[in-house]
Amino acid sequence: MKIIVLLKRVPDTEAKILINQEGTGIREDGVKFVINPHDEYGIEEGLKLREKLADGSKVTVVCAGPEEATEAIRTALAMGADDAVHVCDPKLADPNPFTVSEVLAKAIQAEGFDVIFCGKQAIDDDLAQVQSILAEKLDIPQVNNATAFEMAADCRSAKLSRRIEGGDEKIETSMPAIISCDKGLNEPRYASLPGIMKAKKKEIRKKSLADLGIAEVPGTGRSRVLKWLPLPKGGECRIVAAEETVDAVRELARLLREEAKVI
Amino acid sequence: MSIQGMILLAVFAAVLAVFGFILRMLVRTLKLGKPEARSGDTAKRIRSILVQVAAQARVLSQPAGLGHFVIFWGFIFVTLGTIEHMAGMIVPGFSYESLFGHAAAGWISLLQDLLGILVLVAILVSLFRRFALKPLRLRIDDPAARREAVLILSLIFVLIVLMLCIKSIGVLEGRIDGRYAPVSRFVSGLFVGRGLDLHLAESVLAWIHHLIIFFFLLYIPFSKHIHILGAIPNIYLRNLGPMGKLDRMDFGDENAEKFGNSVITDFTWKQLLDLYGCTECGRCQAACPAYLTEKPLSPFRMIHRMRHHLMRERGKLLAGGTESDDAAIIPDTMTEEEIWACTTCGACMNECPPFIEHVQKIIDLRRYLVMTESRFPAELQPVFRNMEVNYNPWSIGYASRAEWAEGLDVPAASQKTEFDVLFWVGCAGSFDARAQSVSRAMIALLSKAGVDFAVLGVEEKCCGETARRLGNEYLAQMLIDANIETLGKYRFGKIVTACPHCFNTFRVEYPQFGYQAQVMHHSEYLLQLVREGKLAAGPVPSTAGAYHDSCYLGRYNDILSEPRELLRRMGVEKQAEFARHEKRSFCCGAGGGRMWMEETIGRRINEERVGEFLALGVDNVFTACPYCMTMFEDGLKAREAGGVRVRDIAEVLLEAVGGGDN
Repeated sequence: MKIIVLLKRVPDTEAKILINQEGTGIREDGVKFVINPHDEYGIEEGLKLREKLADGSKVTVVCAGPEEATEAIRTALAMGADDAVHVCDPKLADPNPFTVSEVLAKAIQAEGFDVIFCGKQAIDDDLAQVQSILAEKLDIPQVNNATAFEMAADCRSAKLSRRIEGGDEKIETSMPAIISCDKGLNEPRYASLPGIMKAKKKEIRKKSLADLGIAEVPGTGRSRVLKWLPLPKGGECRIVAAEETVDAVRELARLLREEAKVI
Repeated sequence: MSIQGMILLAVFAAVLAVFGFILRMLVRTLKLGKPEARSGDTAKRIRSILVQVAAQARVLSQPAGLGHFVIFWGFIFVTLGTIEHMAGMIVPGFSYESLFGHAAAGWISLLQDLLGILVLVAILVSLFRRFALKPLRLRIDDPAARREAVLILSLIFVLIVLMLCIKSIGVLEGRIDGRYAPVSRFVSGLFVGRGLDLHLAESVLAWIHHLIIFFFLLYIPFSKHIHILGAIPNIYLRNLGPMGKLDRMDFGDENAEKFGNSVITDFTWKQLLDLYGCTECGRCQAACPAYLTEKPLSPFRMIHRMRHHLMRERGKLLAGGTESDDAAIIPDTMTEEEIWACTTCGACMNECPPFIEHVQKIIDLRRYLVMTESRFPAELQPVFRNMEVNYNPWSIGYASRAEWAEGLDVPAASQKTEFDVLFWVGCAGSFDARAQSVSRAMIALLSKAGVDFAVLGVEEKCCGETARRLGNEYLAQMLIDANIETLGKYRFGKIVTACPHCFNTFRVEYPQFGYQAQVMHHSEYLLQLVREGKLAAGPVPSTAGAYHDSCYLGRYNDILSEPRELLRRMGVEKQAEFARHEKRSFCCGAGGGRMWMEETIGRRINEERVGEFLALGVDNVFTACPYCMTMFEDGLKAREAGGVRVRDIAEVLLEAVGGGDN
């Protein structure tokens, strides 16, 4: 079985995000980049599926991103993925979801696939569009925000759960399909040291758009980011203190009513 | 030679041959272990033997050790008598008297008699302890351990009684001068007037005695009394360097499939020799914070089980076989719960009379679990991740590392390049709200004393200690290498830090990676500033308190008097001492990466320590370690001990020099 896992390189969840002066993106100095945490659930699910099948199935990481994304790809390989395709092209400097999906679709078709796992969204732009556009491009079903996944014995369908308001939704889908993964699906593993050592030797196939047979950057003009703006500066924090807690609460209520006019 | 002499010689030769065979097997077993260099410092090592074997210094550090001291020396003199008697049976006419003269032989005889009685008393006391008092330290869940101990004690008792009887016959027959054998002379009264054939009686008793000795010789290597063979070389080869220094792993081999230890042959020969050296005295477990709070770990049981594991496996291994998976140390000997329960406080190693090194073994097992198997308590994953990405175990971005200093005048190393003191803030001092106040106090004190100092700010990364003690040596070395590169950019006199964990790592472990610098803990450095008059410490009003020794400061690095002197110079009115203090201080529970793990089994270590503090009736805990501080703050809250303040010595000093309470 060919298991594809998608990966995006995003700023670390703890990073301090500052908008650059031109308003075209974030300042990257002082920002550490990691694998998109939701994608880690996808990688883990792919590895678990391969381990369960134990039939020589392969997990291939597919990533479209800058040169620096190699580090994140190596981490996925250290976790246990077999190999990787890294679409890296200067023309992809400022891609929109349509562009990325088109590129990924071409790369995935070139690899061949039986199932695709990805995160439910990237934590940087939170767009959550790629999996849907990709499903359309590849003409396969998609199940979003999976919290449980079980492949049928014949590998032609799978049963899944999704967390919805107040309960779980049980779904069955035919295969191949694209599954976007949510927290709760699994606990992504910590790469072992032999895994890290082996990852150094695993193959990352670098592809340009030309390699994928793409002449024009697809999706240009469909949507673009006009400007990035910093959040308006929040108000000053005030601590309402008094000898007795009750008095502090009264004072707080008065301030909220009379000054902030919110109650 | 008499017929008896010939038989004795034949039996003796046979026993000796078997014993030699056993010894060879024991040595070959050690060679199954990995190499480890333990040599040099011959003079120090010989001194160790004199102090720790002959004078039994550590054994005697507890009252019950007196019994061992008596039995040890008693047995040596009894054995001298055994040798004399056996030699006399084989070579007619042989005696110490004919060899050394009347007086010397007399003295040996006198010591045999007197020590003999003392040994009998010591054995009775030992049996009373085992059966009636049942002290905590002798508790073990293997009944065989107790059987062995009782068998050996009983045999020694019988040997002493036989010796006295044999000698008493010698007195009656005039071969032994009764003036040098008061006890034997007294015993001889039992044989007088009973119409006994004294000669026959002596032969029978001597044969029983000698056969027991032979049995003893062959039994020792298979019991805990193997320490008679193992302890002396173990003490000779003990670690003479800083306590608890972990060995450096080499990651050069990119094809390596395994890191750390999972089977017995992964340990070094010296670590295996430790197993021979164990006397099963259990002092380690009576000092172990994990054991004392009902956690599954006992250093005593760990060594006991490892020895039994080695004994079980060695036959197959010596025959060229390999260890099967079910012969793994984990979980056959050590469960994962035990491995993670250790705080690496080193109390076990500080007590151990034959100088067994427990902590490295536990770290070796952790290394295997973490690096090879990627198996560890779930709460550690974000800790490892954050140390990788943000260089600190707190889940905070690295760019925030210098935020604690906002609004303060803190010189950055990057703007000075040359200065006297590099104040190493550490992760706790940078990110933990309570420890940040200590960092700010340090800045105020250094500024007040006019010290030319700087901090690294966001260039500083975790020193690697947490990762290292958690078995993630690979991550630790990444951090260590990065720090060494950063430190190399600047010229400064010394590193000063308020964290004993950073301190120990820089002082003891960074040299393993080729980095040498003068490193001082803030307790040392602040004391120096006060002594030099650079800080004038006026008396601190109404401060009765107790200083809690951090393991990595006191036990690991011998910094015991400095913080106490500092507090004295500040005029702290009353300095109480914890029941367990200085080298025998009790861990706060946060060492060895335990700071980052849940403590769900047994009682909480910090609450145990807080209980010890509350018994002192003072209202200040003085600490010199950010982890200890956190553990005390939490423990006091849990015990609902309001009114008690936990303060770092730097905070107290700042108050004493009139810097106010920051």
